[in-house]
Amino acid sequence: MTMEWTTVAGSALILIGALLLLIAAWGVICLPDALSRQHAATKAGTLALALVCLGAMLYMADSAWTPRLLFILVFLLWTLPVASHLLARAAMAEQGLDLTTGRPAQDGS
Amino acid sequence: MIIALLVLLSGLAVALAVYRIVSGPTHTDRVVALDILLAAGVALCIAAAMLTERTVFLDVAIGLSLVAFVATMGWARLIERTPRSTAPEAGAKP
Repeated sequence: MTMEWTTVAGSALILIGALLLLIAAWGVICLPDALSRQHAATKAGTLALALVCLGAMLYMADSAWTPRLLFILVFLLWTLPVASHLLARAAMAEQGLDLTTGRPAQDGS
Repeated sequence: MIIALLVLLSGLAVALAVYRIVSGPTHTDRVVALDILLAAGVALCIAAAMLTERTVFLDVAIGLSLVAFVATMGWARLIERTPRSTAPEAGAKP
């Protein structure tokens, strides 16, 4: 009975995560410039991978799987915001915007 | 069933990310697409682990997420510190 419940909940979480991953990739295609694409990829991608990890944890429900998936989850939640911030800085620098004001930089930034 | 669905949706995400890597107008677009490509790769590793019921693929997923973070950080720092001359296309010497 409890096994059935975890399988159903894990399947639902994996399905939502996979759909979010597809939506993130679609945002990378459809949004207009690099800064917006960075937002779509990193925010939705983080949530998608977290949901897939949680779903696999519930679906398998095994003591060998849970620590590894938990490590992946914690590592992703720890590093992906840093990558998002660096990508936003790179996008602004490549568009020639000043990093503190957000306006176009005057000379040689 | 759910594993096949996960593989299908992640494969579609890989296809969209590869399209953006090939046709991205700026270098930042390509790095963002690389980020989402490696995220889809981690999801595919989890799908492979669930399909074969072996935890070795989870160790592959851990290594892949580590490589994804280091690669994104390195490319983003390189793009940010590349001096801009006139056109944005002229930057980022490898």
